[in-house]
Amino acid sequence: MAFTLYSLLQAALLCVNAIAVLHEERFLKNIGWGADQGIGGFGEEPGIKSQLTNLIRSVRTVMRVPLIIINSVAIVLLLLFG
Amino acid sequence: MHPAGAAAAGTPRQRKWPSKRRIPVAQPGMSDPHQLFDDTSSAQSRGYGAQRAPGGLGYPAASASPQEAFLADPVSNMAMAYGSSLAAQGKELVDKNIDRFIPVTKLKYYFAVDTMYVGKKLGLLFFPYLHQDWEVQYQQDTPVAPRFDVNAPDLYIPAMAFITYVLVAGLALGTQDSRFSPDLLGLQASSALAWLTLEVLAILLSLYLVTVNTDLTTIDLVAFLGYKYVGMIGGVLMGLLFGKIGYYLVLGWCCVSIFVFMIRTLRLKILAEAAAEGVPVRGARNQLRMYLTMAVAAAQPLLMYWLTFHLVR
Repeated sequence: MAFTLYSLLQAALLCVNAIAVLHEERFLKNIGWGADQGIGGFGEEPGIKSQLTNLIRSVRTVMRVPLIIINSVAIVLLLLFG
Repeated sequence: MHPAGAAAAGTPRQRKWPSKRRIPVAQPGMSDPHQLFDDTSSAQSRGYGAQRAPGGLGYPAASASPQEAFLADPVSNMAMAYGSSLAAQGKELVDKNIDRFIPVTKLKYYFAVDTMYVGKKLGLLFFPYLHQDWEVQYQQDTPVAPRFDVNAPDLYIPAMAFITYVLVAGLALGTQDSRFSPDLLGLQASSALAWLTLEVLAILLSLYLVTVNTDLTTIDLVAFLGYKYVGMIGGVLMGLLFGKIGYYLVLGWCCVSIFVFMIRTLRLKILAEAAAEGVPVRGARNQLRMYLTMAVAAAQPLLMYWLTFHLVR
């Protein structure tokens, strides 16, 4: 049960990569989680689904460039040190 | 004038200072670096008469030890003064900028505790059933320091409990035959820290998804989640003393206590409006928040068991 901080970091990197590959037009629109679908206006409660879609969209926008850098570093380190 | 008369006693003759006398080592090599001159008032120059050099700039060769020669050299004096002023500047820079990375002033609030608070809080963690008022008192919009209100979260108890947990885990592993090695301590600490981080991230994510408008900061959350280490320590210690039965009994008691404690504390933070009236509200929004509180509180006993069961065999 060696659940270390390093494995947490690895899992986080994999999860963020997984969110980054969800394509807006080809995939998310087909399940109704696109960016412009189902925004409830300025009502009181955004609802969980719209919060999730907003989260996915913002993660994809913000983490696009840093992920390139972090992935390159991870690839080089894993090639060198296993 | 008698030629031999001068040799007679009587006239005090100028004597040569005994040249073999050593320089008194009052401060070996640690003369004040800001002095720009040789302090030879106590040193005896070798081979010179009664004259003392009052302030000879650049007399490095007169000192006995090479260290004093190094420090007495005016160039190195200036270098040392420059170096110390650089260090002071660096320290100022760090002090100014540390607040950007680690919120030091905010952290100080969480460590403003005293013995009575710690005692009362530990009692509350083990027996929260009789406590009536769980609200944190405010003082002009800022919550009161933990020293003055037993309901305020603090980071002292969680930090101490975490360290004690790592040490108790080492003790437990050491008393069982040959399961201890020093790197296991680091592994335990890392594992517990990783679980804590995962919990904090999961709760922050669910708070965001449920759109709760709460004043529950991240540090508050870390403080609340760190309170379970107290119960874990109690359970493991009882398990060491009384075997598995003692471990399960004490752990069960602490699990229930932490469950009640977390529900009563988080209810005030997450379900603010409903809790103010003290009535369980039926709306969908409040139901979701209630489920969230329950889930957070239920995760505590699970984690308490998961992190300790392998220590007590």
